Amino acid sequence: MNRRTFLKSTTAVAVAQSLPWQGAFAADGWRTFETVTRVEVKDSFGVARAWVPLPLEMDTSWQKAMGNSWSGNASKADVRHDGKYGIAMLYAEWSDKEMNPVIEVTSRFMTRDRATDFSRADSAVDLSAADRQFFTAPTELIPTDGIVRKMGLDITKGAKTDVEKAHAIYDWIVEHTFRDPKTRGCGVGDVKSLLESGNLGGKCADLNALYVGLARSVGVPARDVYGIRVAPSKYGYKSLGAGTANITKAQHCRAEFFAKGHGWVAIDPADVRKVVLEEPPGNLPIKDEKVVAARKRLFGSWEMNWLAYNMGHDVALPNATKAPKLPFLMYINAEADGELRDQLEPDSVRYTITAREITA
Amino acid sequence: MLRLAFGLLLAAAAFIASAAELKPWEGGATPALALEDLKGKPHDLGEYRGKVVLVNFWATWCEPCRAEMPSIDRLRNSLKGKPFEVLAVNMAEPLSRIEKFSETMPLGFPLLRDRDGSVSKTWKAKLLPASYLIGRDGRIHYVAYGELDWSSAPVRARVNELLQ
Repeated sequence: MNRRTFLKSTTAVAVAQSLPWQGAFAADGWRTFETVTRVEVKDSFGVARAWVPLPLEMDTSWQKAMGNSWSGNASKADVRHDGKYGIAMLYAEWSDKEMNPVIEVTSRFMTRDRATDFSRADSAVDLSAADRQFFTAPTELIPTDGIVRKMGLDITKGAKTDVEKAHAIYDWIVEHTFRDPKTRGCGVGDVKSLLESGNLGGKCADLNALYVGLARSVGVPARDVYGIRVAPSKYGYKSLGAGTANITKAQHCRAEFFAKGHGWVAIDPADVRKVVLEEPPGNLPIKDEKVVAARKRLFGSWEMNWLAYNMGHDVALPNATKAPKLPFLMYINAEADGELRDQLEPDSVRYTITAREITA
Repeated sequence: MLRLAFGLLLAAAAFIASAAELKPWEGGATPALALEDLKGKPHDLGEYRGKVVLVNFWATWCEPCRAEMPSIDRLRNSLKGKPFEVLAVNMAEPLSRIEKFSETMPLGFPLLRDRDGSVSKTWKAKLLPASYLIGRDGRIHYVAYGELDWSSAPVRARVNELLQ
């Protein structure tokens, strides 16, 4: 196939297939997906660069990376990592002679739903002291002192275990914050400003970062997990899935906390607020049965119709000319002639992301 | 006509510019590789010591992988009689899919099956195609992530250097 013909296509020419162990994994709920990210740096003058987040490299019990490939006219393309968190991204570079920089990145991965059984604990499951310190440390936008710690202590008053503290913070986020549809993208996660303003509205990067900050401030290890929705929800929630194969604007971040004996626990209070706002007919009361069910399910479990990219903060884009640190890497970033393009404006970079499930 | 030819030249230049580079390997010791081919015959990289080996990780869904395969075959054919072998490792696809691919693109080198993708991960083949050129001493000397024209003069020069 001619490469240029291939590039004209909005989806990769990938052949539907099943994995050899799909039968075995399917019994355990594993599903295989493919995403195709096409990036065009428009009106490019000078050297152009792009950074495309890749699926989480670390294998987990709920996601496994299966490989990535790229096509396009980049003069250089390779996998780069953010030093502190090991975030994987595809870095592409075009010379100043390329007037129409374009790259298409295909990624394959497997996911399966995850849930923590709080009735069973394994005392051997614990974090090392170094990891505990790492996942309770502040980030540039998530301080763990001042107003954040004060709120954290207030919210968790009376809670004894990490699970009790984590649950108290979860309930507080669900009951005191709201999803603000006017927030750009998924928000930036400026936790201190959020609390100081008293306006507790935002989207996932705000609300779940607030969760992480509050948890860390009281010594509960926690982390944001940045990613994108890739398929509709099988649990009947229209608002909690990708409605079409085009997932260009379906980025979503979640959160985890660590509980001794249970490991990393999946949570997503921001999605409870999404159900409240968006689940038809919209603006549901918090006691609506759909909200109640989502609230119960999203403390301890994730439906894996979603791809996890990374768990990093304060990201320095490798080789960027003058890009400031990003609070997180969940969007496509690009620069041309030394100027970083607006990552929340797909038309400024012009990118599309499509997803499909690979079935037999 | 001249303009058309110039346009084609530019397109060709863009195509070449998009290809990966063969870079010196700095990743340490050669990982183990012992896998079966499509007929179940075992292949152990350790048994190829004394030969130059191109280990190529690929998948049928990877367009650049498919695109570079014919050039790998051309390179192999051009080195007939010399101690050069190709081991193409498919990343976690079903046998039927690989066989179908093999029928549409007959190749003279073995296609090995990394059934669960674990070998590919050991080799850190995150970006496909991922190709490793192994010298007669069993060490990885060069690596390329992305599509490469394996029949091009610069690549042949690297392979010939390892064959010395």
